[in-house]
Amino acid sequence: MCSIFRFGTSKAEVGNHGNAGMVGMDANVLGAWMATGLTLFIFSFLFKDNPLFKLAEHLYVGVSVGYTIVKTCDSVVVHLIYKPIVEHGEIALLIPVAIGLLMLTRYVPKATWMSRYAFAFIVGLGSGLAIPRTISSFILKQIEDTIRPLLSMTGGDGLTFSMSLLDPASNLNAIIVLVGVSSVLFYFFFSIEHSGPGRMVARTGIVFLMIAFGAAFGYTVMARMSLLIGRLTDLIEFSDASYGYPTWWLLILTIGALVVLSRRGSESPSQP
Amino acid sequence: MGGRKRKRHDMTFSERMLKIDRRIIFLVIGLCTLLPLLYPVGLPIRISPEVRSIYDYMESLPEGSVFLLSIDFDPASKPELHPQAIALLRHAFRKNLRVVAMTLWVSGTGMADQLLTQVAQEMGKENGKDYVFLGWSPGGAAVIINMGQNLYSAFPSDYGGKSTKGLPVLEGVSSLKDVTYAISLGAGNPGVEAWYVYGKDKYKFELGGGCTGVMAPGLYPLLRSGQLNGLIGGLRGAAEYESLVGRKGRAVAGMDAQSATHLAIIVLVAICNVFYFSLRHQQGRSRESR
Repeated sequence: MCSIFRFGTSKAEVGNHGNAGMVGMDANVLGAWMATGLTLFIFSFLFKDNPLFKLAEHLYVGVSVGYTIVKTCDSVVVHLIYKPIVEHGEIALLIPVAIGLLMLTRYVPKATWMSRYAFAFIVGLGSGLAIPRTISSFILKQIEDTIRPLLSMTGGDGLTFSMSLLDPASNLNAIIVLVGVSSVLFYFFFSIEHSGPGRMVARTGIVFLMIAFGAAFGYTVMARMSLLIGRLTDLIEFSDASYGYPTWWLLILTIGALVVLSRRGSESPSQP
Repeated sequence: MGGRKRKRHDMTFSERMLKIDRRIIFLVIGLCTLLPLLYPVGLPIRISPEVRSIYDYMESLPEGSVFLLSIDFDPASKPELHPQAIALLRHAFRKNLRVVAMTLWVSGTGMADQLLTQVAQEMGKENGKDYVFLGWSPGGAAVIINMGQNLYSAFPSDYGGKSTKGLPVLEGVSSLKDVTYAISLGAGNPGVEAWYVYGKDKYKFELGGGCTGVMAPGLYPLLRSGQLNGLIGGLRGAAEYESLVGRKGRAVAGMDAQSATHLAIIVLVAICNVFYFSLRHQQGRSRESR
């Protein structure tokens, strides 16, 4: 949301707009105050749900949707439809426009059936484009990579076996990938009972799945922490005098509001 | 209330620790993030092979090569992908590559324009001559196919409304086949995968990827199979690229905080497990004594 309002401006840039001591209410300073306030309001949810959080949450949704609608209208209706047809006479564009307009017939009960032609066109085109390309990219290419030779031929040395775990192309990794893929596929093969040797293979599959889930979770934690770092970096930057100390003022305001709201909540008479 | 108090009093230390107010944990994580940002330590950053391969490929490109940067994220992923975009643009401009930027995410257009303009001004580059921002076009992945056939029909005008035909930066470029190297910085769909499936696989240009940390494990199979020539994953990847370019920015500054929070989380998980097993042991002993 910050960048929609051009919030990410550096301190140096703001300094160019006026004296450090005199804070002019230009767009950058206003942006800093809004970004700081909304960040603190969102963070206030960590204490407990409150009206400040709801205000920031609703603003986020509203601004995002409004921005998307305006940008889409400007890019599609003005630049890709109106200008080419009216200014450049590209009449052929009326065909996709007509197909697009058919979708709106869903709002007219008697003409709803017409929207099916538009959906049929989109589903047919989308499937036709996606299916062959997805099979080629994600199935065939990945199978090709999975069934790499377990031994390599190198020059005059004949057959060799590379042990490096850090090299994705090593023979040892090829074996690990092969064992992983086979055991996980076996784990999801429910037609036979997982007992005896099959149980061991299925268990191996579970181990590989757990490692994959662990890696995914580790990366997710890293990503979430990065978002926190991003917001805290902005809060530190906006605690500067050139912005008028928005972090400090709004922190006091947010904490004060939370205290008042908590007291009101505890003072309100309980339901009989 | 009195009963609740008595109950808390009766709890063992392990039980109390396992039922600790989660806001205390939030506070610990918050402090572990804030303190290293205020007082950086400067922990060393090791460059991973997947990030280095993107850097090396960019280094190998001759001056004037066409570099396409697809900024496929919106402000929600800004902390992770914005530093990646800045580092890549600085590198491309330093190498005097012709930069063609675009986005497949309508909600990211303003941010993408801002970051491109900011880096271009910093590097003294001219819009239309050294770089162009094509903006956004509807259709998601279909835009990539359209660009593969005719770039000018997908983007008849740039973000500023100027006709793309005749722009010096696009001289000799008619479709994706004329792109030397493309990188998609993706936070979801359409993003890196769409660029491979509908772009590289069909039009045969070299492709690198940048993504959020959440997406990185899902993209590693594409890296190993050679479908991507490199991958910059999350803030960590951005910090590595900033180090390689030699212009340390927000990503490097955030690495100390990242390490501190990871350490805090590992310690919390370990402590939690210690208390959990200690509680189980106590409960087992009390059952035996009964």
